[in-house]
Amino acid sequence: MVAILLIPLVTAALCYLLKSPRGIGYASMSGAVVLSAVSLPTILSVVSFPAEMMNGMLYMDALSGYIMAMVIFLGLASALYSVSYLEHELKVHLTDILGIRRYYALLHLFIFTMLLVTVANNLALMWIAIEATTIVSALLIGLGFYKRHLAIEAAWKYIILCTVGITFALLGTFITYYASTAVMGTEGALNWTVLKGISGSLNPSTMKLAFIFILVGYGTKAGLAPMHNWLPDAHSQAPSPISALLSGILLNTAFYGVMRFVSIVEPSTGDLFTGNLLILFGLISIGLSSVFILVQDNYKRLLAYSSIEHMGIISLGVGIGGPLGIYGALLHILNHALSKPLMFLASGKIQSHYGSTRIENIRGVLSSMPLLGTLTFVGAFSLAGTPPFNIFISEFTILKAAVDKALWPVVVLFLIFVVLVFYGMLSGFGRMLFGRSGEEEEKQAKGMEDETVSEVSRFRSCGFPDVLGNAVMIVMAVCIVVLGFMVPDFLDSTIRSCVVILGIK
Amino acid sequence: MKNWIQAFSVIDFISVGILLTAVAMNAFKRLESCVKIYTLNSLLLSSLIAIVALMVGEPHLYIASAATLLGKGILIPMFLRRVVRQMKVTHDVEPYINNALSLAISGVLVAVVYASLRQGIFVSGFSKNVLQISIAVILIGLFVMITRRKAITQVIGLLFMENGLFLAGFSLTYGMPIIIELGVLFDMLMGVIILGIFAVQIKRTFASSNLDNLTILKG
Repeated sequence: MVAILLIPLVTAALCYLLKSPRGIGYASMSGAVVLSAVSLPTILSVVSFPAEMMNGMLYMDALSGYIMAMVIFLGLASALYSVSYLEHELKVHLTDILGIRRYYALLHLFIFTMLLVTVANNLALMWIAIEATTIVSALLIGLGFYKRHLAIEAAWKYIILCTVGITFALLGTFITYYASTAVMGTEGALNWTVLKGISGSLNPSTMKLAFIFILVGYGTKAGLAPMHNWLPDAHSQAPSPISALLSGILLNTAFYGVMRFVSIVEPSTGDLFTGNLLILFGLISIGLSSVFILVQDNYKRLLAYSSIEHMGIISLGVGIGGPLGIYGALLHILNHALSKPLMFLASGKIQSHYGSTRIENIRGVLSSMPLLGTLTFVGAFSLAGTPPFNIFISEFTILKAAVDKALWPVVVLFLIFVVLVFYGMLSGFGRMLFGRSGEEEEKQAKGMEDETVSEVSRFRSCGFPDVLGNAVMIVMAVCIVVLGFMVPDFLDSTIRSCVVILGIK
Repeated sequence: MKNWIQAFSVIDFISVGILLTAVAMNAFKRLESCVKIYTLNSLLLSSLIAIVALMVGEPHLYIASAATLLGKGILIPMFLRRVVRQMKVTHDVEPYINNALSLAISGVLVAVVYASLRQGIFVSGFSKNVLQISIAVILIGLFVMITRRKAITQVIGLLFMENGLFLAGFSLTYGMPIIIELGVLFDMLMGVIILGIFAVQIKRTFASSNLDNLTILKG
């Protein structure tokens, strides 16, 4: 477990010390590969046998392993994709060697902080790790490498809003500590495993207060509406591989914190309290983002709003609860962590090819770049919730859970919003994928004198050849299609044991 | 010593001092004064922790007090002063609402906190007043954050919130285990440093540290 935490740190240091762009790229790539190789046996073993370390500060069970596997997979994906992405950036002078060194060092630090969230058993340590993810990723967005005022604006909003939000989560953690010391004294009173054991005897009104603070705090970080204002800015302004990590897994690590808390708060307060709050925040997120998806004219922001929608669906699933609801939510976390990064990585390539992030400037991706077009097609249909892709399965599972519990208003609202999102996503990406791709479109794009175009025009060139990046995206697309037809047995049993661990009614 | 502390209700005095410095933040027009008042607030917080440590005799509280003194009382103010100097800002805070009104509003905030926590959900702890004061400081910090235009005043508002939060932690449970305390402090220190760097960047790219410029991204 310690080795898993050390490898990204060593890789980060190595990346910062090396001097040649290619060398740094290889160092980061091999670091990510070694990390996945080392962590695989640990993750496989904790699924059936939870492990504890350092007086119970660190702890891994199936749920931590499940989230950790996604962190490592997406870390590997963005490390592979970054190599040619950054070489391209270097070629068009959007970054320099110092920028590349910083970028890779921060990327691996970012992976480290997310891994720390998944293995933290002490809830305050988890808070420290989540706050650290904010700090590191804000640097990646704002200083990452290309200094543009939009990126700085996004990073400022991101770090201020998330730090304020997460301050409330710390207050919630303090209150939880207060409640647990009243029951059992200070020894290990913040460890999740211990709290889970005594969760029935905690003071309900204290825990209610704690949970509200926690939900607002970590909910801000997880992008739940109405605390989501930072999200579209940060995710659309970050470099594409970083957007993939932010949307695909960072939101989920914050929501992982919420889930751990739900599981210790719920036995004392009853499932209606936590469930209704989560359903409320979930529905607000889905509804609000569906409206913004309909009117969006920037495809990166459209993807960011779609992240809010999917976090809302996950929250809804946990809120509805029951084995089926939790199962759906956990499956949805995985599905979203595959589809959204695929779309962000693909959109990075579209952006570098067309030099614009506006939907109206992009036509005929499918005919001009068949491979990229197909990948975008798979990702867009999956995100819209179309069968036979993976997200349809998990959305359907959550809907089934709602029907089983006879929550009819939730079912109706959920269906309406999902239809709106379906239309919004497909009309946006449909326009980009199909249609003519000719010289006149190119000219039109050049003629555009709006700010985003002039800003990214330096970015413009005829794309970049990239075997590794394409391979990563193809693997993701294959997973999306396969998961759309079946949930493999090992995945099914892992998610089932996660559901048992959380034990949310 | 313990009797002396109780007889003169030193803890109440210091915590009221913390509240007053937070309220006074609303009255200052110059950035330097804001940094100074924050320093005073942190020093009071650190001495409060030291006195509580003396009272209950827990060694880890001395470390927490020293760490607070070093981090919040010395390092962060030094860094903030450097940022203020580096940015060569016009030194005026430029609040959205004028100082008198914001003083009045923060007074109302304190009253609201006292009224709503009167039944005392958490009666124990070393002083009943401290929890209410800490929540009031958190709210005043938040209020400062949303009513100031300058990037650096937002950071100071955030820092006041965090001081209030630490105070709340101490009033509830005599603080966290020391390793956690240090981790939280380290996170906050890093956060402030990075916010400072961004504030300087904003000043450089927009030729002003006024946050009204940051309105391009929307919808």
